[in-house]
Amino acid sequence: MNTTRSRLNSLPRRRPVAPGLWFCFRLLPALTVCLLSCILLNASVARAADDVPGAGELMLHSPGLPPAPALMQRSAVQVSISGMVAVVTLEQSFRNTSEQWAEGVYTFPLPGEAAVRALEIRVGERRIVGEIRERHEAEAVYTAARDAGRKASLVAQQRPNLFSNRIANLAPGETIAVKLEFVQPVNYTAGVFSLRLPMTLTARYIPGRPLGDKPESTDPLPLPDYLGRFLWTDEVPDAPLLATLQHPRAGSDAAPLNPLTIAVELDPGMPLARVDSPYHEMRLRRDGSRYHLQLARGSSEMDRDFVLSWEPATGSRPQAALFTEKVAGEHYGLLLVVPPALAENLENRARELVFVVDTSGSMGGVPIQQLRESLVAALDGLRPGDSFNIIAFDHSYRTLFADAMPVDRLALKRARIFISELRAAGGTEMLPPLRRALASSPADDSRGRLRQVVFMTDGAVGNEQAIIDTIVAELGDSRLFTLGLGSAPNSWFLRKAAQLGRGRHLRIGDHAEISARVGLLLEYLAAPMLTDISVEWPQAVADAGGPVPDLYAGAPLLRLVRFNMPPQPGVIRVSGELAGLPWQQALALEAGDEVAASAPGVASLWARERIEQILDQRYQGRHEDSVRAEVLAVALPHRLLSPYTSFVAVEQQVSRPQGIPLRSVAVPGTRPRGQSPQAYAYPQTATTAAAKLFLACLLLFIALLFWVMRGPEADRVPDQPR
Amino acid sequence: MFPISLGRRVRHLALAGLLLLAGWQLAGAGWIHGKALLAQQLLGRAWLESAATGVAQKPWPWADTWPVARLRVPGLQVEQYVLAGTSGQALAFGPGMHEAFAGGARNWTVLAGHRDTHFGFLGALVPGVRLSLELPDGELRDYQVQSSRVVDSRVERLDPPPVDRPHLLLVTCYPFASVAANGPLRFVVVARAVYGFSKATSASPGATHASGSSFATRSSSSRAV
Repeated sequence: MNTTRSRLNSLPRRRPVAPGLWFCFRLLPALTVCLLSCILLNASVARAADDVPGAGELMLHSPGLPPAPALMQRSAVQVSISGMVAVVTLEQSFRNTSEQWAEGVYTFPLPGEAAVRALEIRVGERRIVGEIRERHEAEAVYTAARDAGRKASLVAQQRPNLFSNRIANLAPGETIAVKLEFVQPVNYTAGVFSLRLPMTLTARYIPGRPLGDKPESTDPLPLPDYLGRFLWTDEVPDAPLLATLQHPRAGSDAAPLNPLTIAVELDPGMPLARVDSPYHEMRLRRDGSRYHLQLARGSSEMDRDFVLSWEPATGSRPQAALFTEKVAGEHYGLLLVVPPALAENLENRARELVFVVDTSGSMGGVPIQQLRESLVAALDGLRPGDSFNIIAFDHSYRTLFADAMPVDRLALKRARIFISELRAAGGTEMLPPLRRALASSPADDSRGRLRQVVFMTDGAVGNEQAIIDTIVAELGDSRLFTLGLGSAPNSWFLRKAAQLGRGRHLRIGDHAEISARVGLLLEYLAAPMLTDISVEWPQAVADAGGPVPDLYAGAPLLRLVRFNMPPQPGVIRVSGELAGLPWQQALALEAGDEVAASAPGVASLWARERIEQILDQRYQGRHEDSVRAEVLAVALPHRLLSPYTSFVAVEQQVSRPQGIPLRSVAVPGTRPRGQSPQAYAYPQTATTAAAKLFLACLLLFIALLFWVMRGPEADRVPDQPR
Repeated sequence: MFPISLGRRVRHLALAGLLLLAGWQLAGAGWIHGKALLAQQLLGRAWLESAATGVAQKPWPWADTWPVARLRVPGLQVEQYVLAGTSGQALAFGPGMHEAFAGGARNWTVLAGHRDTHFGFLGALVPGVRLSLELPDGELRDYQVQSSRVVDSRVERLDPPPVDRPHLLLVTCYPFASVAANGPLRFVVVARAVYGFSKATSASPGATHASGSSFATRSSSSRAV
């Protein structure tokens, strides 16, 4: 150190310093040091941040995912809407980006009310039409074709709104398109028509104890290894079939991971006041009474539901209509009757409201925010005299109050604190909190309260059946309302739960919808408007649905029937009790061959409704075997997908030569928009102490350099007294 | 010209500023480590109190977490009090027990800790090392390390498959020597229960030499380092 000082001290004697020397010995070293520190500071922070994929040295062992998906999927949707029926063609294209022959397994959602009636695969110029078979037969046909090296596709229903598609023998670099056609009824609520198509799935929670061995080892279709993350459990024996693989990154419309194109042809049959797609930007073209819509950007990400809504112009709202279709000599009909709107405030009975809210990990991100806001909005809508309680659940549940408390300032304050502390984490055990909510105390009944349970969740569970069974068994006098949250909730399950719970299902997909939807919910909560409904037909018909349910304000009556003979002129009479008073509405069918508007797809809708009705009889204890036989008798002639029937398409030509192996891979979908990256995220496990220490050392080092490289003028100061 | 040849006062000021900043950063780092050390002492007291009263005790009045378990690695002379939750507030004071798995959901207990304060020892956990986890009610379970690996938290969920036997999952950040606090990599150690359930009286650890659990603790002689 001393020698350095003396050498540095000796330097200033030679002044003035030549510019070249100054540059070499002063500026250059100083700049180098500055640059070096900058690089050091940057590199140390950046190193741990993103050295994973390209680094090469660090081979990560992550069995959950392959480095890059071998199969990519894109979808094209064509919707043709006519009146109350939409016919949708969904074309899924699978491209094999790997160097090996592949079998793809893709899990995807469809609307819970969809009647899937056709399958076709397209390989280059060749088209192969699929056929409907009993499920195990279809699986056998598919397995044989796959093993023989033929191209094939098998589409099966795992849940009413969750389907799987297997595509066999995709050559490296090849693309196969699988085209599905389904019919869906249009929803009509409070004067607005709407159609909803789900595009992605929220990964479902599988409750129960894992079973060591598969319950049935007869499965000829083993799943790819990393899809088998869901194990068989005692509560969900088919859990692995529900597994969904998702891209680890979130998708975006600018660079979609699963690109989607949508084309809609809308023939509403009446003048419209507006056409709207709340979650997608659409370009609209009008051609007479028809509307054509396309995505404004051409394509979008499959990370949220697609919703189209349209509103008839004032004065042209439908009051009643009958749509018919003739298929294979049989006539089918769809009847729509809209009860009149009433001035509000029908009755002001005191209510007991129990909010059962889901705070499981899958609600992380936007959904839990929506949940908190919806709850606050719902509390604001409570009336004096009501009482309420909140039950929040994940893998366990906790209640706001031990028992429902009357609405007062203190109770509301406590509720607001409770709500603000709700965080999304953990599993989804729905049964215990629902049981708790449905268990009504006799004291409430004696006071004549309306007991209403509002269930707010994304419905991402695998044991839907057990939950619905519980609701049917323990509902008592309560009514169950469901509010679906997030970008991709399990809508079928929530709708079914509300239907069997004698309530309504509502859906919130966006912050902007919260106040309107919660307002609607509270309106529904008042009471059903129309009860004891009966429909009188002029001729004998087979009604697909069961008993007519009570109707809430804004909801129309929808009936699907099969006529025993061609529809005759006559009058259809609908009667019931509207807010306690008798009410009747009639629809006259004119004479002539064309008695009603013809709508293709009604027959498929009738058959699907019939199948659902037969399946629902399981809740009344009907045996599975007889249910199965009856469902097959409807599903096979109508060529519909059901829990017991699957579509299979097989190419005759063999494309994969014998001896070349086939690899089974899962096709990834996109995570629902707004959901946090991981439901079960790894915690942050490093402090900033190391960074602070590093920075401190760096600063000290710079200070030292500063000291060492002092300028010559400064050093001459102590020299002067000499 | 170049700052080095600036006036003496400016140069001193700059130097003082640099030293001050360095000191500030040093103090920050020291505070983090000091908190982590001190908290464990306070937690020890709260733990004994919890064990004695049977009610979860907060280590200090304004704490938003409380000890839920005691983790020991006899081979490494590690004894730490585990807190409820894995939020940043909890992990500053000790390893945390993941809420999603609380109550032994799916037979997994997930503990996470900072690599630079409490869980720095995870790198020394080679297969075969014994750990023990004691709950406030005196339930003591011994585990043996099965495996360890590095995961990328961006692509993999913390979602271990359900298992029949109780398992312990220890998570910390990786690489251990990294400076950045928000890296995506995690070091994960899996340990499996060895002796099942046994009872110990945690309030007086010295008095249970005859019980099976202390035998298990003492017999874990497989030194890892």
